[in-house]
Amino acid sequence: MSFTLRSVKVPPNSVSLDEARHRVFDFFRAACRSIPTVMDIYNLNDVVAPSHLRSVVAAEIRKHASVTNPKVIDMLLFKAMEELNNITEHAKQRHHIIGQYVVGREGLMQDTGAKDQGASNFLKDFYKTNYF
Amino acid sequence: MAAITGASSISFHSRLHQNLALSRANGLKPVSLSGYGRSSLSFGLQQRSARLRISCAAKPETVDKVCQIVRKQLALPDDSAVSGESKFSALGADSLDTVEIVMGLEEEFGISVEEESAQSIATVQDAADLIEKLIEKNKA
Repeated sequence: MSFTLRSVKVPPNSVSLDEARHRVFDFFRAACRSIPTVMDIYNLNDVVAPSHLRSVVAAEIRKHASVTNPKVIDMLLFKAMEELNNITEHAKQRHHIIGQYVVGREGLMQDTGAKDQGASNFLKDFYKTNYF
Repeated sequence: MAAITGASSISFHSRLHQNLALSRANGLKPVSLSGYGRSSLSFGLQQRSARLRISCAAKPETVDKVCQIVRKQLALPDDSAVSGESKFSALGADSLDTVEIVMGLEEEFGISVEEESAQSIATVQDAADLIEKLIEKNKA
């Protein structure tokens, strides 16, 4: 059980916003390229498609899209790299991955039975998300 | 030699045949035409790429697959105009979307795109050309 210390060496801070952008895209590419490995490790092949995981990663990146300070971006990237390393070295377990990255905002609630029958389509969309 | 026959045929035949000769001289897969006189066929993508970029043009199926992936990624309705020449930024994709589309294409076609080449992708046609080039390189 050797936890590989891949990201212990912290690279120097990005000089400009542009360099930070490049690092973000490099991280995104590394994450996307490790998705097949992750799906293999945690047996997610029947649960989720790689494109869904890609869009989840992109959504996480977009959550901080308005940050302009390169140092803050570096810090976020450091945490993201750490998370990615944890996942790829199997330091997490399947239910962590499913709960954090596969399941959507409505959680594990799958029952759309008697309670929501009267609701209109508009209301259903409204409960799901702001943008529809 | 093919160029010479191409040159001699240019003076006699219509623009369509000229394009065909051009594409043959460049080793492209020629689209099969049966003797058309002066009618203009709408091979929009093939013709335009043969005229503008003498590098290898992409097959229509590749471009179609790319368009489909782009549509799914940007959640565009099925009847929106996504053609070879549409730029990603015009379709409403920001840079992260572009990278994501490239990664989707990597997965779909089983290729691996270099960083520098990925920077130069601006339109759907660019992406399709790059994909074709990488598939050729992999097969070789």
